[in-house]
Amino acid sequence: MSLAGSSDVRGALASAPGGKVTPPRRARRGSGRRVKRWNFDRVTLFIVFLGLPLAIFLIFVISPFIQAAWYALTNFGGFSPTYQFTGPANFIKLLGDQGVLNAFLNNVILALVVPIVTIAIALAFASAVTVAGPSIGPIRGIRGSSFYRVVSFFPYVIPAIIIGIVWSGVLDPSHGILNAVLTSLGLPFDDFAWLGDPATARISLIFVMVWAFVGFYMVLFVASIKSVPAEIYEAARLDGASRMRMTFSITIPQIRDSIQTAYVYLGITALDAYVYAQGLTTSGPATTQVVPQKILLNLFHNGQAGYASAIGVASALVTLLFALVVFSIARAARGRDEGRA
Amino acid sequence: MSLQSASLDRRNFLRAALAGAVAIPLGVTLASCSTGGGGGATGQKSAKNPFGMADNTTVDAVIFNGGYKTDYVDFAGKILAKEHSGSSVKVKPETKIATTLQPRFVGGNPPDLIDNSGADAIGFNSILDQLEELQDVLDANNLEGTKISDTLYPGVLTPGEFDGKLKALNYVLTLYAVWYSASLFEKNNWTPPTTWDEAYELGGKAKAAGKYLFVWGKEAATYYQTLVIDSAIKEGGDEVRLNFDNLKDGAWSQDSVQKVLTALKKIIDAGYVKPGGSGTQFTAAQAQWSNDQSGLLYPSGSWIENEMKSQTAADFQMTGTPEFTVTTGSKLPQTALRSTAGEPFAVPSAAKSVAGGKEVLRIMLSKESATNFAKTRLAPSIVKDTVPDDAFGSTALASQISMLNAAKSDTFTFTFVDNYGTNTDQLVLWNAFLDGKSSVNQLTDGLQQISDKIAKDDSIKKITVK
Repeated sequence: MSLAGSSDVRGALASAPGGKVTPPRRARRGSGRRVKRWNFDRVTLFIVFLGLPLAIFLIFVISPFIQAAWYALTNFGGFSPTYQFTGPANFIKLLGDQGVLNAFLNNVILALVVPIVTIAIALAFASAVTVAGPSIGPIRGIRGSSFYRVVSFFPYVIPAIIIGIVWSGVLDPSHGILNAVLTSLGLPFDDFAWLGDPATARISLIFVMVWAFVGFYMVLFVASIKSVPAEIYEAARLDGASRMRMTFSITIPQIRDSIQTAYVYLGITALDAYVYAQGLTTSGPATTQVVPQKILLNLFHNGQAGYASAIGVASALVTLLFALVVFSIARAARGRDEGRA
Repeated sequence: MSLQSASLDRRNFLRAALAGAVAIPLGVTLASCSTGGGGGATGQKSAKNPFGMADNTTVDAVIFNGGYKTDYVDFAGKILAKEHSGSSVKVKPETKIATTLQPRFVGGNPPDLIDNSGADAIGFNSILDQLEELQDVLDANNLEGTKISDTLYPGVLTPGEFDGKLKALNYVLTLYAVWYSASLFEKNNWTPPTTWDEAYELGGKAKAAGKYLFVWGKEAATYYQTLVIDSAIKEGGDEVRLNFDNLKDGAWSQDSVQKVLTALKKIIDAGYVKPGGSGTQFTAAQAQWSNDQSGLLYPSGSWIENEMKSQTAADFQMTGTPEFTVTTGSKLPQTALRSTAGEPFAVPSAAKSVAGGKEVLRIMLSKESATNFAKTRLAPSIVKDTVPDDAFGSTALASQISMLNAAKSDTFTFTFVDNYGTNTDQLVLWNAFLDGKSSVNQLTDGLQQISDKIAKDDSIKKITVK
């Protein structure tokens, strides 16, 4: 559900600039006049540019949404074609279900922490390879920056599930490379279950997710920073601004839109986090259980498809709420800046 | 023609879009409501064809592809093709039963025979009313002419009975025990423990030898739950079992359960359990026992030999011993066993050929198929007298037969974990407990909450166990 949700947002973001372009209109039209001649041209245009994409979108995206919302109001078991309408019973049950509420809490924590950490690291790397180079000569990145750019992008090329499996091997208590390295350094990590211990499981999960995302967002930020005129950095440098100051006073304000987009994308991915949680800790401690795992559990194992749908609907609402909050904060921040200017 | 004249005005475009947005999903939803029912072509019933399978039937069987693989069903399929020329069995090996079969059940075109097993099995209470009763399979004669119900081990039908109706036939005899390497024990002069106190003592000896008493893996932490419940039932008798299965308030606080949990906690606190299990994949953990031999004992069902076949040390001599009791004065004798049957085969009522599904079962329960299963899988099916004395050279299988003979009629099983699909939630608690992260009280409360939640939820159909 949230996968489709992310493409939704992506669509909305992509269409935003297009919204400014007003389509050509006929010069004048009588208010009562309705000229609708259905010639071949109009019909094919409707079919190709409206009918087809709309049909695909409706059948494969919107109709499952509506179906899920409907099933959420029933006691549909998932295996029998008969079921009854039960109203909000599933949602009431959800509010009393500690396991599911806990999963929501975990997802929200992920959605708060993963984007901030990822963006901070990606931004630092992006600055390093674009503008944080030697302070004499033209504005440029540190030496070997193109090499770092390629290397840091590597994790993004690997499918998420492979990342999960590989890292669960790295973090394996008895045969994992991490514990082998740590114990060879004389640290007491023999048989330590990074993904099993409630104290470290969440941090391990966050670490792996950040590891997977940083490269991509670094490349995204590099592209944004490149579009910032170099003169601004030169001017700042002449004024004696430190690299830190340049980052906070020039880079971040100039690429704020990219950061905001990155935050929403990352947040939505973290509100899902299924692949990482499942790949790393199939039945890990309560701190790593995420909402999609609860949905699948109820859908396939417990035979409670209606309840699973209700959790899905709630999850979609949380995702929407998250996007709303991020956009509102961004708008408020922008309004303040513009007011000052 | 100018471009402008062809442009649509935006309002019309949106209007059309909106109309579509409403109409299409409604249509889809309505269409999805009408689901078809099944039935099945039938043929003439006869002694050779007791269920009246139609001629030229291709029986559609979806079989869980786990530790027992699926070729034993192929074997029965070949016999079926021989018995009924023109008919055959198409076996589809599958690991994700629920995920694959959900749309087929809702769509009203389920297969003729399913083996609803594995981690992704369908919870039986959600499909019960869509399954055929299988009593007539038991009443039928096998290929050798003996009534099938007379050829089965006692108690093996219980796990397939729901509210007094036999809805699933569990094909593989499964008994739960604590497994060890007879050669390792002999070399070190250890004896397999019979009580929890003896187990604790053995833990001390294991530690002295640089080994652990138990190992566990994160997806199989609840094997210790099975050990605890079985042990408590042996200690406290049948009442303990009924309280669990009927989701009674305070089931986990029962005296015998608490005693077992306390005994296990003592072993955990003494450091006799190999740490790190909550982060270890379960077959990797099992290999630490069967291959690395860093652990002495492993509680599991009798599938363990088959599952670890390729990862068992040479001359391991895997052997089972009955699960421990707390005292020597337990209500059931120490030799009592949780003996049940696994691999539940079911025939959906809406299947194209219900008779075909039953006919495959009848053949599987005949001597030739059942013997083939025991021989190739090194596990007994529910059909008696298919394992010779040498047990095909398997120490594990030989010990299963001797444990069964020693237990006589003292066999039992519990079903609430399977009936209500609680395993996933329970795993989290067991991993923490085995890790030494939670106390007996915390574990008790957590597990009781899981049972209570189901007991209180009216939307979950309850299965009364007697």
